[in-house]
Amino acid sequence: MDILVALENNSGSIHRMSLEALAAGQKLASEMNLSLSMLVMDKNGGDLAENAGKFNAEEVLLLENPLLDNYSSDGYSQAITSVLEQEKPRFVFMGHTYMVRDFLPRVSARLRIPFISDVVQFRVDDGTPVFTKQVFNAKLAADIVSQSEGTTLVSFQSAAYQSDQAEAGAATIRSISIEMDSSVIKTQSEEPFKEEAGGVDLTNAEIIVSVGRGIGKEENLPIVNTLVDALGAELGSSRPIVDSGWLEPSRQIGSSGQNVAPKLYLALGISGAIQHVVGMKGSKNIVAVNKDSEAPIFEIADYGIVGDILEIIPKLSEAVEAAKN
Amino acid sequence: MRVSSDHSWIDEASVNFETNESDSYALEEGLQIREKNGDGEVVVISMGPEGRTQKVIREALAKGADRGVHITEEGPSETDPLRSAGVFAKALQEEQFDLILSGLQSLDLGMGQTGVILGELLGMSSATLVMETEIGENSIRVKRELESGWFQWVTLSLPACLSIQSGINHPRYPSLKGIMGAKKKEIKTLPKAEIIESNVNQSITRVYSMQKAKQTEMITGDIDQQITRLVEALRTEIKVL
Amino acid sequence: MSEREVLELDVLFVGAGPASLAGAIHLQSLLKESGQEASIAILEKAGEIGAHSLSGAIVDPRTLKELFPDFDQQNIPFESEVTEEHLYYLTKAKKFSFPFIPSPMSHHGCYISSIGKLTRWLGEKCENEGIDIFCGFPGTELIYEGDQVIGVRTGDRGIDKNGEQKSQYEAGAEIHAKVVILGEGTRGSLTKKLIQRHELMNGKNPQVWAIGVKELWKMPPGSVQPGYVAHTMGFPLGHNIFGGAFLYGMQDDIWDLGLVVGLDYSNPAVDSHHELQLLKTHPWMKSVLDGGELISYGAKSLPEGGWFSIPKLTVNGAMLIGDSAGFMNGQRLKGIHLAMKSGMLAAETIVDALSENNFSDEILSDFEKKVNSSWLRDELWKVRNFHQAFDHGLFGGLINAGMGLVTGGRGWGIKNRMSSEPGHLRMEKGKIENRYNELIFDGKYLFDKVTDVYHSATAHEEDQIPHLHVRDPDVCITKCPEEFGNPCEKFCPADVYEMVGEGETRKLQINFSNCVHCKTCDIMDPYQIIDWVPPEGGDGPTWVNL
Repeated sequence: MDILVALENNSGSIHRMSLEALAAGQKLASEMNLSLSMLVMDKNGGDLAENAGKFNAEEVLLLENPLLDNYSSDGYSQAITSVLEQEKPRFVFMGHTYMVRDFLPRVSARLRIPFISDVVQFRVDDGTPVFTKQVFNAKLAADIVSQSEGTTLVSFQSAAYQSDQAEAGAATIRSISIEMDSSVIKTQSEEPFKEEAGGVDLTNAEIIVSVGRGIGKEENLPIVNTLVDALGAELGSSRPIVDSGWLEPSRQIGSSGQNVAPKLYLALGISGAIQHVVGMKGSKNIVAVNKDSEAPIFEIADYGIVGDILEIIPKLSEAVEAAKN
Repeated sequence: MRVSSDHSWIDEASVNFETNESDSYALEEGLQIREKNGDGEVVVISMGPEGRTQKVIREALAKGADRGVHITEEGPSETDPLRSAGVFAKALQEEQFDLILSGLQSLDLGMGQTGVILGELLGMSSATLVMETEIGENSIRVKRELESGWFQWVTLSLPACLSIQSGINHPRYPSLKGIMGAKKKEIKTLPKAEIIESNVNQSITRVYSMQKAKQTEMITGDIDQQITRLVEALRTEIKVL
Repeated sequence: MSEREVLELDVLFVGAGPASLAGAIHLQSLLKESGQEASIAILEKAGEIGAHSLSGAIVDPRTLKELFPDFDQQNIPFESEVTEEHLYYLTKAKKFSFPFIPSPMSHHGCYISSIGKLTRWLGEKCENEGIDIFCGFPGTELIYEGDQVIGVRTGDRGIDKNGEQKSQYEAGAEIHAKVVILGEGTRGSLTKKLIQRHELMNGKNPQVWAIGVKELWKMPPGSVQPGYVAHTMGFPLGHNIFGGAFLYGMQDDIWDLGLVVGLDYSNPAVDSHHELQLLKTHPWMKSVLDGGELISYGAKSLPEGGWFSIPKLTVNGAMLIGDSAGFMNGQRLKGIHLAMKSGMLAAETIVDALSENNFSDEILSDFEKKVNSSWLRDELWKVRNFHQAFDHGLFGGLINAGMGLVTGGRGWGIKNRMSSEPGHLRMEKGKIENRYNELIFDGKYLFDKVTDVYHSATAHEEDQIPHLHVRDPDVCITKCPEEFGNPCEKFCPADVYEMVGEGETRKLQINFSNCVHCKTCDIMDPYQIIDWVPPEGGDGPTWVNL
């Protein structure tokens, strides 16, 4: 097998980031004429495998083992190692999730194979896949190639590829098994729990609505919150808003704040000074609204509207709600 | 920061070097675990060229670490985490540490792997994204960060290798006496070339500025037309609705 | 971690600049020669040596040759010996070459240098000699016993913006030393207090200052000649603002471009950052910088007053050296060699004081005698009236300088000592004139302040009390707008001061995070209500090669 996409479970459905990895895998498969399979190893594996079977691939490997019912770094790294030893794929594609960060490097160590992590895109140069990763806090990019003659592990950054680009099709489900002793698992995990977040972590948000000086007064912020809710977004801001005490510091985006690269960054009343831009220019899609047509933010925006944000925001909220229904 | 003229890396003369921020949290956690435990030895290891690596190790010694190991590196920085971890494993395996702590990831490549690979090569139990630690007799209980605001406590047997999440603690400042005392603490040096594997598993072919071929669509018309077009773009092109 | 650490030392220098570094190295070598020992340390507020150092610079090697007799083998990291020099008079569109360069203003035999590289190199020498340099430790207060200085307190760390202790709070350390040498550089904060308390400026001319703003430009390979020197007068400053530009060729295809602006102009709207951008609109500058990229920006003030503005240099237990004392030759635009020499002379005095175990002013004042009988005095004496006549404009200043050349420094050829007036007093009420109407910032060649500040690689711990203390911020809304038009927004090269809000909500906002530690606000504020104190240790610019 050439490409193996390992799927993660997210509350009963296939994790969005796994579908993104699948889309990437299918793209590589078609460009290089390679075969692609998926792997499911999960408590509710059967259901997940069935869903996976509706995507375009050769096979869905289903691994069911009670030792894998709950995630453990020991269990998963052992299991994947065994699967790779059996199936010997050229590539393993996964989403760059917390879980993958936790166990996949151990697989790299056990099999002495490279793990190219947090990739944002790939291309094929003369028959060699070249993976691109952001480096130095997303200031620069690096092209990386594998020198492995065996398997290469790759994980993809959130929203690097689109989950809805994963092609539908039909894949056969094949059950597989591995040898694993319970002594493999050397850790005891307790129940996961949720906690009040200390500060807001904008780095995982898919959509960020960000507000700048153009908002004028603190009293105008509620209309932004309405839009945030309508879009299911997180609220961010440029520095002056935080300096004025209108929002807490964890909302600040920029060189002295958070560094974000969401799927959509909506910059409202933000001029685009370099200190702010370096914190968000990696965003996949940037929409800017500003009343100054010369504002530097328009140079990095995908879509721009020259206008009064105090008028536009409420109308946009309404239109978004309508579009959702 | 500028890319080097041959695009192989950055122009190191254009930047200032300092301790990797994630690693400061790991060091602080190590110092605090030693304090809670009553005794113990804290050792720091780093790989890189003379000047800046010695500086980083001395800073850790000034903060309270007992001794340092400097893997001297000549030429380009190592960018293959398997190789880096392999070097550290060779340098450290005789010592039999109870705990190895690393920062979550480095500012340069941000692979987030070296610490975890190191633990695996030394046969240690492993946990990442550690937000809190409770040292026990022969085990350590750690709070791991999961996605979306979820957390989980995990107990690992010793020896254990932990990668530490930023914000877990407040790294202390070195004191004046600490800085003066650091000069007298031992730093063992070991050339990378003597212990590194010849096998390269992955390599960087090019470093560059990612210029998006940006075509900005300026949405025109009256306000209602602009909103309509924008919502359409959000739905069909950006696909967030 | 909340008890004050106490350290006992023999000799403490404050500020790891050329003066203190040369002083410490010389002191250690003198002690070794005489078989004595003493503990020597240097406090530095920056997180790294050189991070807060900024200058042109052209270095006269005279002092380094004294400090290192094997100068030729030392490999001092200069950019280049001066290979070519020019003196130009600029109009808006033209450039006129001076027919010859008077020899005192010639830089022949001198070296273009990055003060950052030089101080780092000197710092290494210090550490090799067993001198402790404590980076990230600002000296915030002098410790007294009676009227004798017995040490320095360093800044507290970990105090939030409300004055509350954070969890990593650490009280500043108390360092007791037999002698404290202040080499804080321009407008030192401890120096300012020392001068005030002991009235060290009695009988002296008030110090006058200038600000230097500079940009480093990375050029295509082969387009910069290391060793190239050009100085200019005229455009953009004109005849009524003291100053001029410099252009130096560095290594690695870097142009070092800067502008010195006297901080004694009468128009409150003068903005040195904008003046630098105006300079770049000159056709000659455009052709020089064509194809290049801005890589760094910074600014710092400098003491211009000369010999008569140097305070009394010693008190019981403390001494002043370098720019803190005002050892700068305004005419040659050189101060580094003087700073280092003052450090060396201070070291000689300290050796005597150590062997007599007496650090009273009686013994320490020998330092002034040494300065008076050294070439330091000879050099500065010749230019003692240089700056003062520029009060009469450019031509007046040049005529005076010319006459000074032939009369060994007499003002207008006659006066032994010309007086000066503090620069901030020369700002004229109501005489606000916008010089920048035609200046357009394109973000690629001409940069607004905010963008340039970004390139100054400056950062401060956000959660701390602003280190710029404005004693009466009401003045900013009541008197100042009419009288001076809030000049802080203009004279600060880093966009720290900003008037925000309208009507009821109008107030002064201090963006202290941008501060490049140039001290201009402390100098130039017409009401003298701004006190610059060091922020938390390690904060500020992280300049590499400025």
